[in-house]
Amino acid sequence: MIEINNVSYSYSGVTALQNISLHIEKGEAIALLGPNGSGKSTLLKLINGIISPDQGTYTFDSEEVTGKKLSSAQFTKRLHQRIGFVFQNSDTQLFCADVYDEVAFGPRQMGLSEAEVDTRVNDCLSLLGIQSFKSRTPYHLSGGEKRKVAIACVLSLNPDILVLDEPMSGLDPRTQRWLVEFLVHLNKSGKTIITSTHNLELVPEISSRAILFDENHEIVGDMPSGQLLEDVDLLKRVNLVDQYYHCHQGSDHKHFHDHSF
Amino acid sequence: MDNNKLKMTQMPDMPKMQEMPKMPEMPGMPHWLLEDEKYSPQSDRDAFISKSIVGILSILSRIRTQDSRSTPKYSVNAAFKVAFTLLLLIMVSISQSTAFVTVIIVYLLVVLCTMQAIQIVKILKVSFIMSFFTFVILLPAALLGNTYSIVMITAKVFTSITAVNILSHSTRWNAITSALKRFFVPDIFILVLDITIKYIVMLGDFALNMLRALKLRSVGRNTSKYTSLSGIAGTMFIESKEMAEGMYDAMQCRGFDGEYHVNSHFQFTAADGAYILIQIAIIILFVYLGRT
Repeated sequence: MIEINNVSYSYSGVTALQNISLHIEKGEAIALLGPNGSGKSTLLKLINGIISPDQGTYTFDSEEVTGKKLSSAQFTKRLHQRIGFVFQNSDTQLFCADVYDEVAFGPRQMGLSEAEVDTRVNDCLSLLGIQSFKSRTPYHLSGGEKRKVAIACVLSLNPDILVLDEPMSGLDPRTQRWLVEFLVHLNKSGKTIITSTHNLELVPEISSRAILFDENHEIVGDMPSGQLLEDVDLLKRVNLVDQYYHCHQGSDHKHFHDHSF
Repeated sequence: MDNNKLKMTQMPDMPKMQEMPKMPEMPGMPHWLLEDEKYSPQSDRDAFISKSIVGILSILSRIRTQDSRSTPKYSVNAAFKVAFTLLLLIMVSISQSTAFVTVIIVYLLVVLCTMQAIQIVKILKVSFIMSFFTFVILLPAALLGNTYSIVMITAKVFTSITAVNILSHSTRWNAITSALKRFFVPDIFILVLDITIKYIVMLGDFALNMLRALKLRSVGRNTSKYTSLSGIAGTMFIESKEMAEGMYDAMQCRGFDGEYHVNSHFQFTAADGAYILIQIAIIILFVYLGRT
């Protein structure tokens, strides 16, 4: 579905992606890991067609995504409908007067009838458990509620792929747990999920495959999530975990924990 | 007492997994979410979103490029550059000598040659555009026979804009604001300038992401573009208000009592000496040529 070959990208001469190659199949659940500034968010922007590669090729559904094609409104609108992007800061994604209009924004543009729009909005709101926020203004919601509204806005477009940039950041543990279960639920329903995260404990749950970036903006690991998390030397080498973090086998689960006390 | 024990006893008791509140059951997926979307987008006039994104990106890129620039070529103290650029503008403005203005243009072009190609292009582009508009506005004066004035004023506009742009492109903005202290500008005013530059970047990033989000969600025909834009403006206003309140609280927590002290470390270098000599030569030239 997504084929990225030898892609490099830089911001005003500052390298953000270095010779990245990646293949993502439909229905996969992928976690992007790496230290801050390693290129995860840039890769997500590339996948969403916000930027185009300086070098290399990006192919989505057998069609190459180039800078020229991204200047075609018809092409980008279809691409953006098929790939939904949930921003790290939900505030940037919400600009309508109330939550209902926010979720209805996309379906209305798609030319659906008002009855179909209403169905989609209500389905999304109940799926995310935010029906009671329907008439509230987005900027008065809490961080977790805003994140749910942002996800509902994207889901209402019925994208094939859901891309989430640090979706767990700033959420309380209960909302994080809810989001994990929701992403698993979506993935089981056939949606492709690509998530960038620093929350290593949740990686095996939200993804079957993990991709690891290093500080040179290159991919240094692409393997099943469990296998990657067991490679502590590799995680240390890319400065993703420090010496106090390690993985151990519990009675029925494994997790990273802090031994700094 | 053992430190580890102390820390451990201070940790609150974690609730056991069985005691955690149970998550509500995930509702079933609606049928439309399980089907492939058969959708062909309609065309819409929304190029303004992309143009706005490019505009904000270029401003942010310019500020960030300034910040990350290594400046061995331009190691002249910012205070000298600000002072002499101001003096140069005054001299060029009051000069009536074609020779003096010509010499200054040649001097500025020589300075430009020491800069990076991309900077030269940016500076000359602005200078030529502004000079062209000045020329067009003054064209009616040619009908009255004032061709000399047209040439002089256009040349002075070119010189002034080039000089200011060279200063702007060769000096970091925070160095310029710090240099203002040498001219007895109040510290609190310098603080306001510094914060303004910082928030241009922060709010610019926020606006950029909002426009990107609007673009990503604009998958068809938006019949209420102005509503979306006013929503973005409103959110920006709220964000800036929250940032301002957050910063005020943080400053108070750090002991801010309305006084702000700017420290500037000044060290005279050979580059400063050479620069001052050139500027003195220009002043002498102005005294002999400039006023006639």
